[in-house]
Amino acid sequence: MSKRLVVPGELVSEEAKRTGDYVYSQNGKIYAACVGLVNDESPVADVVPLRGKYIPKINDIVIGIVKKEEFSGFMIDIAAFYPSFLSKKEFRYSLRPGEVVSVRIEDIDETHEAKISDVRTQQGGTVLTITPVKVPRLIGKSGSMLEVIKKGTQSLIVVGRNGRIWVKGGDINLLKKAIEKIENEAHLSNLTQKMEQFFIENPAKITESLAQNETDQKRRLYE
Amino acid sequence: MSTKEDIIWELRSEEVLKSIKQGKRMDGRDLLDYRTLKIETNVSENADGSARAFLGESQSITGVKMIVDKPYPDNPDEGTISVGVELLPLASPTFESGPPKTEAIELSRVVDRGIREAKTLDFKKLSLVAGEKCWVVFIDSYVINHAGNLFDTCSLSSMAALMNCRVPKLEENKIVRGEFEGKLELTNLPILTTFAKIGNQIVVDTSYAEEKAMSARFSIATFEGKKFSALQKGGHGSFTQSEVDHCIDIAFEKGDELRSQLKKFAGGKR
Amino acid sequence: MSNKNNEEPVYVNKQGLRLDGRKVDETRKIKITSGVLPRADGSCYLEWGQNKIIAGVYGPREALPAHTQDPTKANVNFVYRMASFSVPDRKNPKPGRRDIEISKVCGEAFEKTIFLEKFPNAVIDIYVEILDSNAGSRVAAITAASVALADAGIPMRDMVAAVAVGKAGGHILVDLNKDEEDASDAVDMPMAILPSTEEIVLLQMDGVITKDEWTKAIDLGLKACKKVYELQKNALKEKYIQAESSKENKVE
Repeated sequence: MSKRLVVPGELVSEEAKRTGDYVYSQNGKIYAACVGLVNDESPVADVVPLRGKYIPKINDIVIGIVKKEEFSGFMIDIAAFYPSFLSKKEFRYSLRPGEVVSVRIEDIDETHEAKISDVRTQQGGTVLTITPVKVPRLIGKSGSMLEVIKKGTQSLIVVGRNGRIWVKGGDINLLKKAIEKIENEAHLSNLTQKMEQFFIENPAKITESLAQNETDQKRRLYE
Repeated sequence: MSTKEDIIWELRSEEVLKSIKQGKRMDGRDLLDYRTLKIETNVSENADGSARAFLGESQSITGVKMIVDKPYPDNPDEGTISVGVELLPLASPTFESGPPKTEAIELSRVVDRGIREAKTLDFKKLSLVAGEKCWVVFIDSYVINHAGNLFDTCSLSSMAALMNCRVPKLEENKIVRGEFEGKLELTNLPILTTFAKIGNQIVVDTSYAEEKAMSARFSIATFEGKKFSALQKGGHGSFTQSEVDHCIDIAFEKGDELRSQLKKFAGGKR
Repeated sequence: MSNKNNEEPVYVNKQGLRLDGRKVDETRKIKITSGVLPRADGSCYLEWGQNKIIAGVYGPREALPAHTQDPTKANVNFVYRMASFSVPDRKNPKPGRRDIEISKVCGEAFEKTIFLEKFPNAVIDIYVEILDSNAGSRVAAITAASVALADAGIPMRDMVAAVAVGKAGGHILVDLNKDEEDASDAVDMPMAILPSTEEIVLLQMDGVITKDEWTKAIDLGLKACKKVYELQKNALKEKYIQAESSKENKVE
């Protein structure tokens, strides 16, 4: 419990530490640039934000939604400032507006417009959302939290760094509740244990046959 | 290409359609269930009457201001009302600041007709000096959060604000600010019940996602004694006569429920 | 207002108390709640004496129409509006010259603190609606907007805290209410600062004061802004601390 809650302008460190995200230096001291958590024992001075929009980073996997088809490609909404353009030269399959895809951010230009690649379509299912800055908590240390959730809900889940979560099968209602819980308690510690307990108390109720979903999935690549 | 609206709502509308086909709503409600209604009164001291209504996460605030003005020449012995609705840009990423758009104008006119035609306020009693001075009751609503069904939300906050309204004290037909002469008299409580057609089903109190999926909308202002004072159909789709019949019956039932809740929340105070 | 025809009231009595019982350096009661609008990126509800204000922030998002875009930084679009019923006489809902000027200077008060250069071609929309008012609504609006911006997670160097100082009956006072603003020698001086550096980002004044009175006023104003800043911090942190304690209750 060495995490400290800060608001913009509050001191993060007086030491000359390496600086990470959401901080700035002034007169040799490091200050917070957003509402979030500071770990004073960390060698890096940074703030883990608790609110905020998605800012694309190279190599992020995000969930996109096809916005429209143009002559030479597709506009893909990735919940960033701008939609990304996917050229038909790079992606030979046809996409329909409203279709859900997972993509990798390959590059970002100076106006934050993201170039995307590694496009995979996500057939069926639904898209849930979480505050983008809380995605790391949803995934957990080396995917531990996500494993707990997948096991607890029996759902297929692809988490996008942009706060969109593609899900299919299993107990979707339970999954919604689990995500809501992480949304509300992201700033608290021992969250993974709490979620394990949550799933013990709330076992998944499977109505659809998951097996059916899995055969649906077979045709596609899936992580 | 506007990035103001999150495209995720378009996806949700497909889910809504699928689910409603099976007679279920995304939030677990039955087709004819309202979300939880909550009313707060006295939200602004400068208003003569004010209230905030919540239908689920939808939220609007109405303030009533009574001013003294000249009556219309064709109704010299009557006062009048004015109903306005503003869709504040803080309420939704899709609302823009600026003069009211068609959406807001339709909304305010439907709320207006429900109250005006039911003769909720006796215009004759709002007259002060025939041909010279009368009360004008301004009922101005501000949408604070758009989570669907703004018609009913604004109707409810408007009625609650009217129930909360006190008549300013007059001295020689001039208002004495901060002093009052009793409550504003209301003869009835008209309330809108708004239906939506989604697929081939009829639902009440639509959520934001449901409004993305609906083909048509239908509002009925009902008041005591199984009477109604305004109807309005909106949207590109259609209703059959038997569907409208069905809606009217449901509206009487829902109107009575909402009215008794209104009285509970906004009744006694002031 | 009601004192117009009478003698001037005693604005500060022998005990050093004002008409409403406050000390000269005391603000009215301020209550701040962050995160009140589900659809906005950030929001705040604030009560400051009788003033009641709701602020909603959207962005950074693409500035539209495209000709408003600045390729070097984001624009700040601050919209200050008063509800028709928020003042003693009904206000025409159409924005007037006062609304437009206030919107401009309030928006500019945020340009230094937000890391605008991080968001080229974008706009940060700050919408503030005054639901009830009694003197000092613009400083209350800035205070609320600052909390809403932080709640939206928009990167900022510092909060912006604001207060009005002024003069009534020859006394320099913090946070004048309407009765005090109606004094015959009234001076109203709204100000906003970045609390950690005390840089002044908004300053207006109308009325007549001397250099000595100014020195006293700005000194009181800076101290009051620091107090407002503490309340802003608490409001932003409260939400998370509440979640923590409610969690502990559940474990019980």
